[in-house]
Amino acid sequence: MPRLLSRRTFLLTGAAIGGTALVAAVGGVGYLATVDVEGLLGFVDGDHAALNAFVTIGEDGRVVVNVPRTEMGQGIHTGLAMVVAEELDIPFDDRISVVFPTEPLPAYANWFNVLGVRPEYASGPAVWLGRRILGQLGFISTGASGSTMAMWHPMRVAGAAARQMLLAAGAARMGVPADQLTTVEGFVRHEASGRAFSYGELAREAAVLPPPQNPSFKPESEWRLIGRSQPRVDLPAKVRGEPVFGIDVTLPNMLHAAIVHAPVFGAMVAGIRNLAMVRAEPGVLDVVVINDRQVAVVASTWWQADFATRQLDIEWTPTDADDVDSAVMTGRLEAGLAGEAPHTYLDEGDVEAVFAGGAGPVVEAQYAAPFLAHACMEPMNATVLIRSDGTAEAWVPTQSPIAVRQGVQRGAGWADVQVGSVTCNVTMNGGAFGRRSDQDVVAQAAFLAARHRGRPIKVIWSREEDIGRGLFRSQAAAQLRIALGRDGQPLAYDALVAAQSAMQSIASRNLPFTPSPDGDMLTAEGLDKGHYTIPSRRLRSKNVPSHMPIGFWRSNGFSFNTFFTESFVDECAHATGTDPLAYRRALLRDSPRHLAVLNRVAEMAAWDTPMPPVRGRGVAIEDCYRSVVAQVVEVSVVADGELRVDRVFCAIDVGMVINPDAVIAQMEGGIIFGLTTALMSSITLEAGAVQESNFHDFPMLRIADSPEIIVDIIRSDEPPGGAGEPGIVPVAAALANAIYDATGRRLRSLPLAITQTTGERRTRRVLPAA
Amino acid sequence: MVRFIVNGMSADIDVPNDKPLLWALRDELGLLGPKYGCGVAQCGACRVLIDGVSTPSCVTPCADAEGTSIVTVEGLAGPDGALSIVQQAWIDEQVPQCGFCQPGFLVAATALLERVPEPTDADIDASITNICRCGTYPRIRRAIHRAAASRARS
Repeated sequence: MPRLLSRRTFLLTGAAIGGTALVAAVGGVGYLATVDVEGLLGFVDGDHAALNAFVTIGEDGRVVVNVPRTEMGQGIHTGLAMVVAEELDIPFDDRISVVFPTEPLPAYANWFNVLGVRPEYASGPAVWLGRRILGQLGFISTGASGSTMAMWHPMRVAGAAARQMLLAAGAARMGVPADQLTTVEGFVRHEASGRAFSYGELAREAAVLPPPQNPSFKPESEWRLIGRSQPRVDLPAKVRGEPVFGIDVTLPNMLHAAIVHAPVFGAMVAGIRNLAMVRAEPGVLDVVVINDRQVAVVASTWWQADFATRQLDIEWTPTDADDVDSAVMTGRLEAGLAGEAPHTYLDEGDVEAVFAGGAGPVVEAQYAAPFLAHACMEPMNATVLIRSDGTAEAWVPTQSPIAVRQGVQRGAGWADVQVGSVTCNVTMNGGAFGRRSDQDVVAQAAFLAARHRGRPIKVIWSREEDIGRGLFRSQAAAQLRIALGRDGQPLAYDALVAAQSAMQSIASRNLPFTPSPDGDMLTAEGLDKGHYTIPSRRLRSKNVPSHMPIGFWRSNGFSFNTFFTESFVDECAHATGTDPLAYRRALLRDSPRHLAVLNRVAEMAAWDTPMPPVRGRGVAIEDCYRSVVAQVVEVSVVADGELRVDRVFCAIDVGMVINPDAVIAQMEGGIIFGLTTALMSSITLEAGAVQESNFHDFPMLRIADSPEIIVDIIRSDEPPGGAGEPGIVPVAAALANAIYDATGRRLRSLPLAITQTTGERRTRRVLPAA
Repeated sequence: MVRFIVNGMSADIDVPNDKPLLWALRDELGLLGPKYGCGVAQCGACRVLIDGVSTPSCVTPCADAEGTSIVTVEGLAGPDGALSIVQQAWIDEQVPQCGFCQPGFLVAATALLERVPEPTDADIDASITNICRCGTYPRIRRAIHRAAASRARS
């Protein structure tokens, strides 16, 4: 008789024992098993049957796919649902729906991003232990372009296991061996007799069968979804304006809050001069200082709360940063480059000896990049309810449910309220770009919810708070030098970057410990150039702290380092009188995968055809997120220095592709994001305070400035790589290289252009004065 | 008290005259399609049609909407739920990424096509000034041309 597992039993078994341990105990497979049944136990809940942690089938045949990764525009819900549908053998249509599961099951943990081991190749005790720990923690996060790499294999297993269980249930129903049955389009069929049962009919019987340990996969030759563009599952609702983003969460009795942060990070609230007046504003219910550092206004509607916060006259305490402006920060970074004791990431060959030897010319340059804000289109928000029994529930557009749980505990703690279990509902995200990994806004909402127990509180930051008072990508500078051999190719490469450690800053806000800034790969990534053949390399960084809070920012260190290094490679090419493409081809002589991508983009852009006067083209390539991406940018620079980006070509080897159109969309979007950054984005400081506040002074590329973009995906036998970030990585360098090609001017500081407003939202970009 | 028609239904709401239309639609009428993105008419996520004109609702006081007919993204589809030509073109070109800004783009594109049935790229550049941080502009351009072609056929 089949064992009926209740949802509760399933959770307890799953959490307390863990799938692999169960297999180890029962089957003697041990911890070395690559594929285990973690997350593969099923249960029945009313007319729905969960065949495992990822696949639920209703009596009506509708399939719900649990995707424990945040949909923030990248299309991950579609890609991973495709993988399940492929193995489950169901049509990819509107009978499939995708949800972000609320329960933090161990099977959902993001151990790939922490351990760096692909699930399909994972084995050994260290990985086993890491998985157990991260699973128990409920470490679910979305980032580092890792969701396909982390989840495609587990979800493939889940789809295949569910199909096998449906076959077994069909065999039991029909009284025939399972190997006489086939699946087609959501049915189990017995060819010989012509009998067939739908998945919906079999699901409840299948869900209580023991899951197969090593379900067999459909051979690649039979794939009909993976590798073929499918329409995104989230778009029909999105064109109707239906999805519930965090900002749209609506709950009974909900209160609304707006927040004012200190103009200078680190300042505390010394007093509110007009507290009584603001408290008397229409709709205002509460004006309160949060953790000494922010002022919140709680009101019946957010418009009233926002209006009231703008009336606040707050006195802030002085800080050590009150005299820090952008020039001071630039000076600190330059001092960091010139100073002592940087951290060394890599030192191979004898770099100093090569430079001291003076065998050939040395090319040397200094580069710079500013602080940046994220400016997600959906302003930062979180909704938290703390009930009188001490349980809490949060509705947040987040990349990190675990950060939400911790943020709720922390914020409630500021109000001396202990919170028990926290349920985290991950809503649709209106862009994220690394910004939604932090606890900050969640903790604020939890503090207010603890003061107003039993009522949900939705905190929304105004756009001004988002751009000027949130988290930033670090300002950065680099000193690069290359010693050239007689053939013009590099003998030694020496890179030193100065920036504020993102990891240290993130940890100081979100973790109980603070790691050393030395060795922070978020500072150094993009310096490496390991794909180029250079006999001696040294990579170093200098942590230059500031009062500014640094967060993850789409492509992190690559966003500045690849601009620095790929511009600099161009400088070396020009210093030796070599075509920049030919120069890179020689550098890639030992990296065939990279060379193929470079050659493809050169072919797409017809690199060898001459450009007309006032136009120029530039190329750049990077290896990032286990993908290889190369771009060619074409620009026009007309007489008065006005710059236009005409076309961008992009070739990417992203390994095995699940949904090609989603990869193309990420390249297009990444290029636009990267062009905005390269052309016009800069967060500046005056008297310690960020000067930019909204889209008028932190502008974005609009459609009129958007170039034609041509993308090609290279056919690749590599396992899947990341796609969310690579698109933005090479574009700044390719653009700077194109400007050089058009004008002979080498621009080494981002942003590359000055934005001039010529009318309402009509802007043009000109090169800075020579 | 402000009265207007929204998505074909008459609305009669008790709000201060200076309350922005965006927040009246969201708070009073539960129309959550129009989004708050900047509050200063820069990004266009809040755009709605007011008597056919694409208008940033975040800076439009409710009083200015008195007696008008308003269409939000929720009102673009037909009464039977069928997608409008513009919405269908958005699906066909797989335009949205995060989708937060798209209600404003759909409204702006709908208004443009009413005014200029076969817009050139220059028309699109001049009329579509919304911001999309995900960078869906190339697909928006294609979708507008596709919608124009569909309209011409229908």
